Amino acid sequence: MTTPPEAASKATTPGSANTEFAGPRCPLLATAARLDLFTDRVGRVVSYLGLATVLIAFSTVYLRYAFDIGYIWLQESYVWTHAAAIMLGGGFTMLREGFVRVDLYYKHWGVRTRAWVDLLGTLLFLGSFLWLLAYYGWSFVAASYAMQEHSQYEEGLPGIWLLKGSLLAFVLLLSIQGLAVLLRSLSILRTAAPRT
Amino acid sequence: MDPVLIGELLAGGLFLGAIAALLIGYPIAFTLPGIALVFALLGWAFGAFDLSYFSALPLRYYGIITNEVLIAVPLFVFMGVMLERSQVAEQLLSTMGILFGKLRGGLGISTVLVAALLAASTGIVGATVATMGLISLPSMLAAGYDKRLASGLICASGTLGQIIPPSTVLVFLAIILQSAYSEAQMAQGNFAPDTLSVGDLFAGAFIPGVALAGMFAVWVGLVALFRPASAPALTIDAAERRGLVLRVITALLPPLMLIVAVLGSIIAGVATPTEAASVGAAGATLLTMVKLSAETLLPGAEQARRWMAGVWIGLVGGAVVLGVAFGATAVLTFAVLLLLASTAVVLSAPPARRRFLHILDQVTQSSLVITTMVFVIFLGASVFSVVFTRLGGDTLVADALSAMPGGVSGALLTVMAIMFVLGFFLDPFEIIFVVVPIAGPVLLKMGVDPVWLAVLIGINFQTSYLTPPFGFSLFFLRGVAPPSVSTADIYRGILPFVGIQVAMLATVWSFPQLATWLPGVLYD
Repeated sequence: MTTPPEAASKATTPGSANTEFAGPRCPLLATAARLDLFTDRVGRVVSYLGLATVLIAFSTVYLRYAFDIGYIWLQESYVWTHAAAIMLGGGFTMLREGFVRVDLYYKHWGVRTRAWVDLLGTLLFLGSFLWLLAYYGWSFVAASYAMQEHSQYEEGLPGIWLLKGSLLAFVLLLSIQGLAVLLRSLSILRTAAPRT
Repeated sequence: MDPVLIGELLAGGLFLGAIAALLIGYPIAFTLPGIALVFALLGWAFGAFDLSYFSALPLRYYGIITNEVLIAVPLFVFMGVMLERSQVAEQLLSTMGILFGKLRGGLGISTVLVAALLAASTGIVGATVATMGLISLPSMLAAGYDKRLASGLICASGTLGQIIPPSTVLVFLAIILQSAYSEAQMAQGNFAPDTLSVGDLFAGAFIPGVALAGMFAVWVGLVALFRPASAPALTIDAAERRGLVLRVITALLPPLMLIVAVLGSIIAGVATPTEAASVGAAGATLLTMVKLSAETLLPGAEQARRWMAGVWIGLVGGAVVLGVAFGATAVLTFAVLLLLASTAVVLSAPPARRRFLHILDQVTQSSLVITTMVFVIFLGASVFSVVFTRLGGDTLVADALSAMPGGVSGALLTVMAIMFVLGFFLDPFEIIFVVVPIAGPVLLKMGVDPVWLAVLIGINFQTSYLTPPFGFSLFFLRGVAPPSVSTADIYRGILPFVGIQVAMLATVWSFPQLATWLPGVLYD
């Protein structure tokens, strides 16, 4: 069984309840809170790319059906906003616990066990996934930049490397949020009493 | 040892390892690629896997995030979340409840109808069941409905979004099955393969989906007939009766028309799913705007309702006149102007503006989280399928499936059984991203019809999410139900609906025409 993202999105910042296990001055938690704040700010801005996708896509449809006008750059714009929203929204989704877990056991475990899961999962699973993307994504984006890749249509948008580069932004933003999770798990493991 | 054998052993190990790793509870979107990488490195060390397979990954990801058809997904999610957060959905349900409430079982039937209309837009079982449970369960319990009937009905209705268009699960299935389908046809020597579109799947799922909703409603009707105390009629006071016409005009007709227009234009082939979804999202925003301008500018619910009724009658009347005189584009223009006008009204009044911006914040953030979650699982799962396939897991699966007794039916039944069990632990998206790319091509090469397959998968998921004790629709209702409804009530209440699901699955299995007839008529 997994957690519905709807319900999760209403929840407060994950881990904020764990503050009680460490003093307010714990440097690990203070840094994690800063990273959270950064992710949250980025996410609030990025979420409006979704509204932009709706408005641009609808305008494209309206112009096409009502006036028989089609601008390729307009059509490509909402592909850009959509792709950017997904790539730049990764960290925010992690902050809001939007990435579902199989919580059959997880939800019954104690604070320390869960901190271990988050620590090792972030290092091994998230870490290796992001490393893979960064490694192969870099040359992919660099190739596009080197040839100054332009949309396949002449009236389309230039700067495809920026769109492809969003893949690297995805890696960066998730690394930042992953670091916040790591720090928080570490502080729990350092301070929470064993066998809670 | 032979690298092929090592590869196949590792592929098997990867499958079991992934299940074990998922149970630890780290987010699925990262566990799948993470564990796949461990086995890829093992395979590399034994000469059974070439790491350069990963170099195609960025291009594949780029293809997924810029896929034009998949842009329908965030647009449908936006539409659904907007209808929910602006309470348009809630008012739709309560109005329908009053409209049918004087019938025995009427409230239950309106729950099914509203779920069928609205559940579709996000495709996420948990969200739909939780929403319906919060809105519909209290009103049914207050009306004196049997706890078991009410809770079973909500769980069952909440899963209709898997199958009733515009299900986002079907959008993704269309994309994944399309590539498997052309691959299968090429393998059979057909180099001008038929294509498979989202419209095909929507049309194919239409009849079985509507039939399921209909059977749920008929079941409620039968209970009301034979055990009247389980599904009593509502007592509707005179004021409610007088206000009913206004409520129908303001709260029921507008969302109904929007949903019918969006679905109709996709199934009729007038618009692509992405185009229709953008109209749906803009339309949901329009409904919110008109509702907000009415509520904030006019004190008193009754007055606001009259104002809105006027607007809607004007809109519908004007739209009909314009449509007859100048065609559908005039209607669209009219709606655009109305959207602009109501936006101006809302933005110029500070209280309305604050409420709107609050709703908009919630809608955009919620849509972002849902959309990103679904797409990132797709990205993560594709690392898994690359590794599994390249280790030789695909031949392993193909051999195992063709060795099943009963030929094609045996193979299909096996895949369905695996998906059913996975449904106890995973969301529909995770399952289709992992299982369909691997098992889909094998089944299609055996001659299974892709539309039929997709519809069976959809009904199978629904059934899995309803079956006690693991069905996770049940957990979500448990999460929002009052303590007076026991877990045993929910488990007992769901049984008749599981029966209906199994009957429907068997019917579509025996009569594939139920799924394949409509797309054939519409698009061939």
